[in-house]
Amino acid sequence: MGNLLEIRNLKVNFNLDDQVITAVDGVDLDVREGEVLVLAGESGSGKTVTALSITRLLPRTAEIVSGSVMLRGKDLARLSEDSLAAIRGKEIAYIFQEPSSFLNPVYTIGNQLLEAITLHHGKDKEEALKEARELLALVKIREPERVLLDYPHQLSGGMNQRVFLAMALACRPKLLIADEPTTSLDVTVEAQILQLLMELKMRLGFSLLFITHNLSIARRIADRVSVMYKGEVVEEALTEDIFKAPKHSHTRELIRAYEKIGRL
Amino acid sequence: MGSKRLLFGCLIIGIFSLLAIAAPLVSPYDPSSIDQAGLLMPPSARHLLGTDGLGRDLLSRIIYGARISLSIGLIAVGISVAIGLVFGAVSGFYGGLIDSLIMRFVDIMLCFPTFYLILAVTAILGPSIFNIMIIIGLTSWMGTARLIRAEILSLKEREFIQAERAIGASSSRIILRHLIPNAIGPVMVNATLGIAGAILVESGLSFLGLGVQPPTPSWGNILIESKSTLGVAWWITVFPGAAILTTILGFNFIAEGLKKKIG
Amino acid sequence: MILQVKNITKTFIVERGMFKRGAGLVRALDGVSFSMEEYSALGVVGESGSGKTTLAKIILGLIPANGGEVIFDERMIADFRKDVQIIFQNPYNSLDPKMRIINTLAEPLLIHRVIPRHALKERAIELLRMVGLDEGALSRYPIEFSGGQRQRICIARALASEPKFIVLDEPISSLDLTIQAEMLDLFLALKERFKLTYIFISHNLAVIKQMADQVIVMESGKIVEQGAKDAIFNSPAKDYTKLLLEAARGW
Repeated sequence: MGNLLEIRNLKVNFNLDDQVITAVDGVDLDVREGEVLVLAGESGSGKTVTALSITRLLPRTAEIVSGSVMLRGKDLARLSEDSLAAIRGKEIAYIFQEPSSFLNPVYTIGNQLLEAITLHHGKDKEEALKEARELLALVKIREPERVLLDYPHQLSGGMNQRVFLAMALACRPKLLIADEPTTSLDVTVEAQILQLLMELKMRLGFSLLFITHNLSIARRIADRVSVMYKGEVVEEALTEDIFKAPKHSHTRELIRAYEKIGRL
Repeated sequence: MGSKRLLFGCLIIGIFSLLAIAAPLVSPYDPSSIDQAGLLMPPSARHLLGTDGLGRDLLSRIIYGARISLSIGLIAVGISVAIGLVFGAVSGFYGGLIDSLIMRFVDIMLCFPTFYLILAVTAILGPSIFNIMIIIGLTSWMGTARLIRAEILSLKEREFIQAERAIGASSSRIILRHLIPNAIGPVMVNATLGIAGAILVESGLSFLGLGVQPPTPSWGNILIESKSTLGVAWWITVFPGAAILTTILGFNFIAEGLKKKIG
Repeated sequence: MILQVKNITKTFIVERGMFKRGAGLVRALDGVSFSMEEYSALGVVGESGSGKTTLAKIILGLIPANGGEVIFDERMIADFRKDVQIIFQNPYNSLDPKMRIINTLAEPLLIHRVIPRHALKERAIELLRMVGLDEGALSRYPIEFSGGQRQRICIARALASEPKFIVLDEPISSLDLTIQAEMLDLFLALKERFKLTYIFISHNLAVIKQMADQVIVMESGKIVEQGAKDAIFNSPAKDYTKLLLEAARGW
């Protein structure tokens, strides 16, 4: 299978008041067509910054110093802000850890879904509404009619993540980037969301870049695992291999911790 | 950006404070001595900022005026912060009926148009510097009280306060050692603005003849005395006005800088 | 029996809507009863909203219950505030940001007059060493420490008054995985050293399995199932327990 996304030599600095911090230091990363790649690492390892760099969603203090981000042969790093905006959501979509804080509290779910649907191609209202219902059905929300009229705070964390996923999938992206999407959820809900993600991946055929600190998730869903440590990718391998024969000492440390904390 | 502004503000206020403290040393003349050579003299080498309608040196009057105006600002705000701190902390920490009572009292106090309240009280008690400080202090603590209460309400739920209770710390210890030190930041910002406000109120009172009484100079009453000679002696209006403006600007810079530092 | 919890209920009033119409009642705890032997370790497992943190706070007397009793054996727990301590989930939040570490550690020592004033510093250093930090930490502020280090400081503070009973409310779940593993080892070592009785609250069954010998499973304010660890993990009786185990094991 070919590569959907190729990141080469990505380096990102944070320019703070009195110092420069290198958050990502020469990262190479490939996401293949239709695969699930788990980017694993602890807090501060640079995994989220790497993910946000792909479509330059970084905070203002961050600066991409070098690197190319090729999406099927197109270098996103060289695109203008406008052309990149056309790719965000349409070809590359994101879901995050706290869906409720990414949903606008003053609009209904229906409102926000419709915006996501009509943003990238002009559809009339009837069509868009139909699509919204289909999307909610896609993420297995039981009462789509009621949910469309609800506000984010009226839904549980798991439901909000489903809605957020529906919005992300509105334009049938080729790459879904999921940044710790289940970390704030209960274990039973987490299991449901992971299962849903896998089903949708099979059905819609997108590639999934899943960021987590939790290796038990990697074990469940990943085809391959990349381990980040202090801004660098220290190991990359097939999921089986990484658990069977981890090479880097930090990977071994992570696996030891996972055996103790994450594995029943 | 915040720290530059803070520095600049401190510089302005520092200069004015030094001048005020060292007034007898730095002012060229006695503020109430009259130069027989002339009244309404424009700025010159002899009188750097000119003389006023009675022939008194304007620079000296402004320097002595800084003493009065700044101390009114500081002491009035000191009183208001002290009252606000106590009411706010008690209200936020204990909640319930005490909280409701204090907050309703705050609402009532806020209903009075403060300036007219001050006017009325000064009219009754007489316009001494001491009275003005106390009255401004007594009528401006409500904002601080609300601020402190809001801070404490949110701090109270933080785990370190729960942890303090779990190790057996008494209420007074929690309020004094943990809640107030953590809530004081925004209050300081508010207080700096309050000082500027108090100086303005004093100027306003002077304008109505209820401020600091002549011959004691305050920036307010120097400015007011200039109004009859405005057409012929611009300097009597411009310089004390500039002093008030710069000071208030200075306090605002400090407040803004502090806010950035804290936030 | 060092602790008996009898039929605890707790309801919270929830205000709905902008104008607080139709305030509703939420039962956070509903008839919770259990007891603990001295030197035992009780694991409380449940998802968010199961009432486990509310239970911790009620046991510590930080919030009142609406009904029921929490009874500590007075022969073992003579001075409640000294002998019973709690460690919270979020170490970023549980230290006073305006206080140097030495003052944070000295506070319980001073309040309970555990040792004379002149020995404070020495004792604070000893406490820090116990949790794997050194005296360099004394004059620093919480912000200068990582999450794991802060949690160590919280543990040192909790141990300062030489407690006999500790409630650990999700003490590791906000830390990195490798740090979590270190912390568990630290807890187990301290438990042996100080002969502690503790309640360990967690949503993570793998952690509960290592830290507890008795387990309570909670859901929506009620105890679903309680029993010895092996029984709960190997032959759960209730569907909800099975569901939790399944979710934790993956599919």
